[in-house]
Amino acid sequence: MTEQNARDTDEPPLAFTDASYAFGDVTVLKEASVELQSGNFTALVGPNGSGKTTLLELFAGLRSLDTGTVTRPTASGRTVAYLPQTPGFRSGFTVRETLGFYTDLVEDSADPDSLLGEVGLNDAAARGVDELSGGMTRLLGIAQALIGDPPVVILDEPTSGLDPDVADHIFDVIESVASDGRLVVTASHDLAAIETRADRALFLSNGEFVLDDDPKRILEATDTETLREAFATVFRTETSGVTRPGANGGER
Amino acid sequence: MQRRDRVFAIIERELWTLLRNRVVIAVGIGFFGVIVGLSGVSMGSPGGYVSLTYDLLLPVEVLIPTLAFAYVYRSIRGDDERGELDVIRTYDVSRLEYVTGVLIGRTAVLLVVVLTTLGVAGVVASQGATPPVEFFATHQAGDTPVVYIRFMVFAAIYTLVASSIALTVSAATRTNREAIAAGVGMLLTLAIGLDLAVVTLVSTNIIDAGSIAIFTGLSPASAFRGLVLEMAIQPALAINPSVATASPLASAISLLSWFGISTGITVVAAWPETR
Repeated sequence: MTEQNARDTDEPPLAFTDASYAFGDVTVLKEASVELQSGNFTALVGPNGSGKTTLLELFAGLRSLDTGTVTRPTASGRTVAYLPQTPGFRSGFTVRETLGFYTDLVEDSADPDSLLGEVGLNDAAARGVDELSGGMTRLLGIAQALIGDPPVVILDEPTSGLDPDVADHIFDVIESVASDGRLVVTASHDLAAIETRADRALFLSNGEFVLDDDPKRILEATDTETLREAFATVFRTETSGVTRPGANGGER
Repeated sequence: MQRRDRVFAIIERELWTLLRNRVVIAVGIGFFGVIVGLSGVSMGSPGGYVSLTYDLLLPVEVLIPTLAFAYVYRSIRGDDERGELDVIRTYDVSRLEYVTGVLIGRTAVLLVVVLTTLGVAGVVASQGATPPVEFFATHQAGDTPVVYIRFMVFAAIYTLVASSIALTVSAATRTNREAIAAGVGMLLTLAIGLDLAVVTLVSTNIIDAGSIAIFTGLSPASAFRGLVLEMAIQPALAINPSVATASPLASAISLLSWFGISTGITVVAAWPETR
């Protein structure tokens, strides 16, 4: 496995070239290549167990490819931010203190209150992290992901298990983050939101990106009305033997 | 952001984590109560600091690893469980910086608890002694506070080693249950197992009795005990024992090795180097 760095703005901030990775019985990537661009909200779609979380961890540098090349930004400091699927923060600290700890880890310390403002959590700054709802914890996680102004932000199912209003707010924040020139890569099962909000959708199946396009063009290509139908069309074979859908957890 | 600043940020996080944790405070109070309570038994004892050191040696030998485990085992394990370890890895923080910060932060609180407790225990035991305990070291033999101060210094070193081993458990295990099981195993091994192993080796003539002083230094607990007996208490005895109970050099090397090796394992186990 080799790693490269995107040295200038012409190069994609994040890319796989002939990338392969297997995790147990799951082939997450099979000589797959993809280039992701800045200022773009890219959604990663796939059935449970397809390896979306593992793929995001490969993008984030938390795992190494078996073979192939991964390209990431070269800027000094924090270049790729990551938020796990069910983020948690150390108890005993307030929201502001938690962000304060992370801002102390980067060169140009950001103002925690300003970051909280970006995600709409100003009023919760003095609240203990144990007192946050699931949605507020995700928003705190997204605020954390903005520390150090990384050009790439990777979010693993940031809206899973949340009510629609909170999920909508989180997608608003994600779109806002992407519109600042960052690349935001998000795994999600919220296909309706991806259909209307994402700039690009990657369908992951058996280690390959079987669909990779603007969601609207994916609908045309699959001759479907919704991304949900497209999902069913693409993954019908894989899910035909499933009698009871599994929970979202255990994506690894 | 300098490396030192990042380490300080991690140290500060660990300090506040412990200081705001009621269980940690309760465990510290329990340790304080047991040790100071035992020292109360020695209050006014004609044996003075030598007697006190003897009285506290075994409890401290067992309780310090217990306290260290209680204070340390959730540190890296907890960050990993919550996914914060993955988040921290996306910052410009190396494994060595992270482990150094956690170790210093957790050990600092441990040292404050241990040394404050032992200090209070020393003061309590010195009260009401008849005839009064001599509080100034004027010569090498006889009871002096130097005996007890040396005991405290060795207890501090032992605390550092116990903390580093507990941190290894925290980094090398993958679940809370694993960490607790490994922690209990660690305590039994360090407090009893390694000593029993040495006794077994002697009784089966695999090692000769003359070498026992060196082999007892292999375990951190017995190395600590050996240093206290040979370097703190022995100089205060009017009659020197004909046979050394431990080799101070072997004990010192053992403690240093336990600290170095366990910290090295912790750094490697904290997370795989992939970037």
